[in-house]
Parts: sequence; structure tokens; C-alpha cells
Amino acid sequence: MMLQETAQGAIGVLLVLITMTGAIIVARKDLRAILFTYQLQSFFLASMAFTFYIFEKSDMMLFLAILTIVSKVLFIPYVIKRVQKKINIPRDLTFHYLSPTKAIFVTIILIFIVHVSLSATMRVLSPSRFIYLGEVLGVSLALMGMLVTFTRGKVMTKILGYLMMENGVLLFSFFVTEIPFIIEVLAMIDLLMIVLLASILALGMDIGVEEFQGRLHPFNRKKNGHNGGDNGNGQNGKGHDVRGNANQVSPAHATDKTKEVITR
Amino acid sequence: MMSFILYGVLNTLFIVLISPLFMSLIKKVKAYSQGRRGPPLLQSYYTLLKLLKKERVYSETSSSITRVTPYLSIAVMLIACLFVPVVFIPEHPVGMGNVILFLYLLALAKFFTALSGLDAGSTFGGMGSSREMSISAIVEPITIMAFAALAFTLGTTNLFDMFEVTSFATDPVLILAIVPLIIALITETSRIPVDNPETHLELTMVHEAMILEYSGSDLALIELSHAIKQTLLVAVVVNLLVPWGLSAEVSLIAIAVSMLLFFMKAAIFSVCIGIFESSIAKMRLFNLPNFFAIGFLFSILTIMLKVFK
Repeated sequence: MMLQETAQGAIGVLLVLITMTGAIIVARKDLRAILFTYQLQSFFLASMAFTFYIFEKSDMMLFLAILTIVSKVLFIPYVIKRVQKKINIPRDLTFHYLSPTKAIFVTIILIFIVHVSLSATMRVLSPSRFIYLGEVLGVSLALMGMLVTFTRGKVMTKILGYLMMENGVLLFSFFVTEIPFIIEVLAMIDLLMIVLLASILALGMDIGVEEFQGRLHPFNRKKNGHNGGDNGNGQNGKGHDVRGNANQVSPAHATDKTKEVITR
Repeated sequence: MMSFILYGVLNTLFIVLISPLFMSLIKKVKAYSQGRRGPPLLQSYYTLLKLLKKERVYSETSSSITRVTPYLSIAVMLIACLFVPVVFIPEHPVGMGNVILFLYLLALAKFFTALSGLDAGSTFGGMGSSREMSISAIVEPITIMAFAALAFTLGTTNLFDMFEVTSFATDPVLILAIVPLIIALITETSRIPVDNPETHLELTMVHEAMILEYSGSDLALIELSHAIKQTLLVAVVVNLLVPWGLSAEVSLIAIAVSMLLFFMKAAIFSVCIGIFESSIAKMRLFNLPNFFAIGFLFSILTIMLKVFK
């Protein structure tokens, strides 16, 4: 009985910490802070799986804890960190539909709706109110991740929102039923693939204006070189100036071109 | 009744005596983090003593509000000292320790300080009061929600009873309730990222702008009441977060241990505030609602989690 109370206390603390990290991800704009919070959230999930292993002696929970640590605490954040370094955007300041402040209020409403929706079925099925609490917070975390995914402008934050959704599903599965380990591994592989692909896409989409301008230069050179006609300065150049050097687009001209391309 | 009188004297004296030290401690930690030696730990006491000896100067346009506010402010804080036990938990009279009354006492001091800012007729004072009231209007509901969540979790609205029953080992939801309390503490004590207590720049100052017209012993009283307010709010947080050490027993050893443990806990908390302030910049005024919304979310979550249970 004492052991069960200790386990419930430990899992209760972890549940509260996971919910806190979810709320912080919804509210923060700093991409590094969001990533670190996601790492923490995953660590708390792994700790929860480990706690379940200690008190229930279920080997699957131990494997799940190790898998979560390796993939979600170490590997995925490492990949995202590398991409973040390349795209060089420290903060996500573009929001669709909701600002972070409004998103926090929507989060409160979401948790309340989940509680009301699940109370009719899960409360009856769940053996204890504690398990019901875990289920409500699991679904709420998944919805909070969804909220981040569609309210944020930058792909990196969208990816992190998606990852939070997966964390929510994992949390829900801890309390509702034990998902077979092989399905969890497959879900993890899917997740890794999605993170890798989305990170590659993010490299192109979340790039800063300066980098975009830099990438535009070779495009212009190539265009001028191949067309052999008007190089944009009103001169009939052939891609080379009188000294025989390749045509360089002046910074002012490049800026105009950049603006034009962005407008298009 | 005798134990309450003893408590009143000891608790108030202890809080008044140690409060300036925590202000200096935060400054010292911030100085160290910036690679400076910083002022000595007793600097706040020296400054208060110096100010108490100095002459008071009033603006020509100021009324009795300016003259009354420092005394009212310190009186309110001394009464508030009776609400937050740090030396021992006595048998308390009805109403004493009520969290709503405690919040109203803090609000009363703030209201008069804001009035005095307007009263001096200076542009800075008016600007500071306006900003302080704008921030207060947003943060008051969060503070009330934070204490409501606490009351909901611990099943009482009395701070004496809260300190007796608290322990997040038995109720982890308490961790959630502490977050909005810390946000309220930062805001109420005008600390970074809401306000910068060390700045006197027109663009950034909030609390300092209100008290800019004060001088001499009036300024000393205002500064002391600000320090006491900070210690009281720190005491609420640390006694809930780390509830061990506060005794209900009235004996010399128990009281000494309670005082020593509280001093250590509050000192560690002050060091944490110093480190936090060194690692974060002041927020822009229009970003503050986002910061407060986190506190509001955690308060609501605390209440919801208790309802689910």
C-alpha cells in the first residue's frame, strides 16, 4: 500500500512537470528554449516509464524509457539543434490565428473540454481517478501539440508541436493500455523519419532573408550567364564584364531582385 | 494569547531586521555574475541609516498624501508581518493570517505609493504610477487566482494553516501552484523581467519612477517597506515549497531553528532570484501579458487537477 502511494506520488509529480513543460512550449517564442523544454518533457516521460518499470516490474516500460531517452532526449533534439544552427532563426515570431497569450487561454479551454468529454466514458472505465487524470493530461498534451503545430509560423516550431503531440499519445498510452513495444518502436522510426524530412524542408523554408539573398546570387549569375541577353542593368552582357570576370549583381540590384522574388 | 503576542514581536522584528540583507544579497549575486565585486552585504543597512539621518524635501505641489504614504506603507507592511509566520506557528486570533486580507494589505500600500507618485506633480511620478497600475491591473487577477489555487489545494485560506498542512510530497499539484506565486512575487516586488529595480531610465523604470520624489527618512521607510514586502512574499513561497523547519512549538531551540532555517531558505531563494535576474533581460511592457498568462494557466490547471482528483 505504501509502495503504491509512493509510486502515485512520483508519477503525480512527473505528470505535473509534463503539463508544465507543455504549457511552456505553447507560450514560448524562443526556439532554443522550446527545444530544451521538449527535451525536458521527454525526459520526464522516460522517468515516468522508468517509475512504472520499478513499481510494476514490466520490462516493456524499461525498454520504452531507454528508447525515449535515446530518441527523444538525445537524437531528435540533436538533429533539430543542428538544423536550427543552419537556419539561424532564434525566435518564432510569426503566428497564425492565435498569439501565444491567446493560445494559453485556448489551452485552458482545451483541457476543460477534454475533461468534460472523457468524463462520460473514461471515468467509468478507469480503475482510479489518478489514472483518469493521466488520461486527461495525455489527450490534452496531444491537443496542445496540435495547437502549437497550427498556430506557429516557423516549420521548426511546427515540428516541435508535432513531437509534443506524440509525447501526448505516449502519455495517454501509459495510463490507458500498454501499447505493444513493437508498435511503439515503429512509431518512433516514423517519428525519426518525419523529423529528418521536415528538418530538410525547414532548411529551405525557415531560412533568413540574408541567407535567402545569398542563395539568390548564384541563381542570378546562372540566369545571366545562360540568357546572354539583358543582365538586368540594361546592358547586353554575355555573363562576363570587360575584364573577363563573371557578372556580379550590385548589392542594391540584388536587394531589388530579392524583393521582387519575395513579392512574387 | 501570550504566544501570539510573543510571535507578533519576534516575527515582525526578525522580518524587519533581515529584509534589507536579502536586497543586498541579490545585488551581490548579480554583481558576481557580471564579474564585479558588488556592494558589501550590509550596504542596504548603511543606505537606510544614511537616509534616515537626511533631510526630507517635498515638491511644492504635493499634498498630505506624499507625507502620509511612507508611514502608511511601513505600517501596512508591519501588520502584514503578522500574517506570515517564519519564527513559529502560534494559536492565532480569527481572521489573522487570512490570505485575502494579506493581499488587500499589499494592494493598499501599492495604491498609496501610486497616489504619491501622482501627487508630487512630476512627469516621472505620473508615468510610473500609470505603468504600475497598468501592470497591477493585469497581475492582480493572477495573484488572486494563484492564492485561490493554493487555498483550493490546501483546503484553507489561512496562511498559518497552509504552512501547517503543506507538503508537495503528499500533493504534487502544489508545484503547479508555486509557479504563479513566483510570477506574482517577481511582479509585486518589481523585479526583472517585469521591472528593473536598479534602473532610473525614463523608458524602463516603473516602481522607481513612483518613488523618485522621495528623499531622506521618507525614502528610507519606502525602501524598507519594499524590502519587507519582498521577504514576506519569499516567506510564503519558501514555506510552501520547502515546508520543513517551521515549528508550532514555542521553545527557545525550536524558534532558533525555525529562524535559522528560514534565513537559509530565503537566502538560497534570493541567490536564485539573483541568478535568474542575471540570466534574463527585462521584458517589453507589451510582452508582459504573455508572462502573466503562464501564471494564470498554472493557477487554473492547479484548480482543474484538484477537481479531476
